[in-house]
Amino acid sequence: MTLTTKRYIVAALSFLFLASLLVVAYHESKRHRAEERPGPVVTAANRGCVDCHRKDGPALVMEWEHSRHAQYGVGCVDCHAAEKGEMDAWSHEGTTVSALVTPKDCARCHAREYEQFSRSHHARAGEILASLDNVLAEKAAGMPGNIADAVNGCWQCHGAIVKFKRDAQGGILRAGKESKPVIDPDTWPNSGMGRLNPDGSKGSCHACHSRHAFEAKLSRSPENCGKCHMGPDHPQIEIYNESKHGIAFYANRDRMALDREKEWVLGRDYSAAPTCATCHISSYMTPQGIAVANSHDVGERISWTLRPVISTKLNLVIYEDGFKEDYPDTRALPKVGDQAQTVEKVVENEKLISKTVPRKVARVVTWEDRRKGMKGVCLNCHNDTYVDNFYKQYDDLVVLYNEKFARPAQQVMDDLTADGVLNPKAPFEHNVQWVFYELWHHEGRRARHGASMMGPDYTHWHGMYEVAKHFYTKFLPEVVEIAATKGPALRQKYEQKVRQLLAQDAHVWQKGLKPEEAEALRKMYRERYNQ
Amino acid sequence: MTPVERAGQEAGLRGRLRALFPFDWELLRHAGAEPVPYHLKKWWFCLGGTVLYLFIVQVVTGIALTFYYVPSPAQAYESVAAITREVRFGWYIRSLHKWSANFMIVAVFLHMLRVYFTGAYRHPRQLNWCIGFLLLGTTLTFGFTGYSLVYEQLSFWGATVACNLAAAVPLAGPYIGYFLRGGPEVGENTLTRFFILHIGVLPTVTFILLGLHVLLIRLHGVTELQFEGEEAPEGERHFRFWPEHATTELMIGVLLMYLLTVVALVFPAGLGEQADPTRTPEHIKPEWYFYFNFRLLKLTSLQLSVVLTGAIGAIAFLWPFIEEWLSRRFRMPDEAPVIVGVLGFLGFLVLTVWECFAA
Repeated sequence: MTLTTKRYIVAALSFLFLASLLVVAYHESKRHRAEERPGPVVTAANRGCVDCHRKDGPALVMEWEHSRHAQYGVGCVDCHAAEKGEMDAWSHEGTTVSALVTPKDCARCHAREYEQFSRSHHARAGEILASLDNVLAEKAAGMPGNIADAVNGCWQCHGAIVKFKRDAQGGILRAGKESKPVIDPDTWPNSGMGRLNPDGSKGSCHACHSRHAFEAKLSRSPENCGKCHMGPDHPQIEIYNESKHGIAFYANRDRMALDREKEWVLGRDYSAAPTCATCHISSYMTPQGIAVANSHDVGERISWTLRPVISTKLNLVIYEDGFKEDYPDTRALPKVGDQAQTVEKVVENEKLISKTVPRKVARVVTWEDRRKGMKGVCLNCHNDTYVDNFYKQYDDLVVLYNEKFARPAQQVMDDLTADGVLNPKAPFEHNVQWVFYELWHHEGRRARHGASMMGPDYTHWHGMYEVAKHFYTKFLPEVVEIAATKGPALRQKYEQKVRQLLAQDAHVWQKGLKPEEAEALRKMYRERYNQ
Repeated sequence: MTPVERAGQEAGLRGRLRALFPFDWELLRHAGAEPVPYHLKKWWFCLGGTVLYLFIVQVVTGIALTFYYVPSPAQAYESVAAITREVRFGWYIRSLHKWSANFMIVAVFLHMLRVYFTGAYRHPRQLNWCIGFLLLGTTLTFGFTGYSLVYEQLSFWGATVACNLAAAVPLAGPYIGYFLRGGPEVGENTLTRFFILHIGVLPTVTFILLGLHVLLIRLHGVTELQFEGEEAPEGERHFRFWPEHATTELMIGVLLMYLLTVVALVFPAGLGEQADPTRTPEHIKPEWYFYFNFRLLKLTSLQLSVVLTGAIGAIAFLWPFIEEWLSRRFRMPDEAPVIVGVLGFLGFLVLTVWECFAA
């Protein structure tokens, strides 16, 4: 074979090589194009907003560009568009818009989530505005004409009733060349979970899904819930951080697939740790397949209520129109098909009022069913015995708190009111009322929450220890002291009550330990510390 | 008198400097004065030099990228994103690095084709073929480790498959796999190991092999080829390496730089989704130069494909000796190696294209 022939062979092979590479490159680039994350799609309707706000609020536009909304061409007007005549609407650069995006606005696309969320505990967070907590913020910490503590404190988590400034005739005040409605600055900005919106909807999606990037990883992260679920009265985030779950999460954040698009399923997409969302909202694997929850109804898997003075198990009644009502297990359950009078809180004339609405019962979910839902999450990592025994430990703690401290304390407070010692209209007039309030609302909750989420220190030292200490050293002495102010007869009566209480098996330890127990104690300190 | 002693006796500043660095500069002049055969004026005989040129581009751009790259799983992807989006001219350097790597692999293949079909690997140059083949190995390993450093979904999972392939090597496989991954699974250690391989071990090995490769070329001289009817005029049968041939190479270099810049501008290096070790993507693909291997894997089994690749590699590596032995034993016709080469390379191309069509 001549060298020239070989030359042609080399040339032919080289051309074939080039052709092959071009074919490969063509196919690869086609595939890459399909896989690439699409950039922000600015539709004609949003072009004007984006161009202008890129100068006026550029970070806001950047955040939006980063969102999945932007990738699907869902832009400013798709959420901010309003109908002419809506209370919060005004014509901005020729488009009728509203600054306030409510769950109803989100429901234009996310109808299912809106429906689920609207019936959840979260959506009703604003309904507690008539509680002792609010009295403390508005009255105890506030003063006439200044409720700044409630505005900056309570309402930022629970949500405000969004109100407008009014003129003399009661019409909405408008300002500026665009006649923008003037929102009462006490009520806006507000991203409280249970915000009561002018369009009648309850809640704020932004509370969990922060605008304008709406990142899934943010709402799946425990810190997100920790904005509100923290502090002396409900330290869920602190308890979580203390628990094995929290420790595993922070150590393995990179394995949590927090950015996963669409469903985020425990046991399929991640396994390292549960977050708040995992246990209370998200989907998980079961032997039958995915238990698609993602229900946006955050209380669905909760079987105890740990909030009141005395904890009760929680049943759930669902009515035909989807309305849900928690039934403490102390309240008789209706049957499916029964007609029931339900109480619904609605805003009328910018005030929260209770309305009685007759409804037909569609479904009854017992506390056992709710617990089963939660156990389904646990069973992704633990076996039946482990989970059942955990619940036994947790239940026992709640019962202990209920029976040893909460029930007797509540009984004494009721007696003091019945005897005219306490004024039911003055919930924080005397020391004993403050002590009692903290006993259940702070210390008692900490103990119960601690046990529910495996935070040992919150269960004991921040919880039951404080309950016991204040029950014996503050609450009972205060009871006698306040009774004594109403005369020697009442003083004697309450001294007698306290004596009887302390003579019960649960409290008799105060009078002294058994000799062998006391000796064991002394021995331990001697041996351990030589003291 | 030795050249060093001679240098010491020179007067003036020149002499003093030479005494400081007593190197026999004659050697260098002699090395550069290599007579280059006439046929090397044809560009396609300069493909070896092209590889060297692209390797230098890789070294320079690679050092620049290392200034910003962070070899940790938590930050790798972000740092590549920063290089691509934030660092001044970062995208250009990264695109040059990426394209130059691809060009380099193409040039290596073309260089091998030329050497093979012109029979330049035959006695006494068998050893240099073997060294060249090892350089092909380091080049491909460069490509594989570099691609994995980007830490995007595809590159991460490509690396996972490659580690599984390495682990399937008979006997030593599990140890090689463990060594590459830095553990039983692709994890935190893997990235660091790939990084060290890519910027430390492989460059060192490549420099040594390249040095040997070039030294052997210089010692043997370039194979002289005579094309029919293209006799060089008498007196022009050879020309000097320096400066004539070096100028040719330089011009090719300029042309390459121009080409690289054009592709870097038109097809800048992109960035896919960040690696997610918890989620296997639907389609895993290595870079194109491993397609043939990947196709082989899909056609056979993990074990068999590794054994087959190893066997093909071993035959190619030792081909000069095998061919010699075969022709002595069977009196092989001159065409036989050409046919083997054509079939072998076509096989490579078919598997590569086949894999790209397979979803």
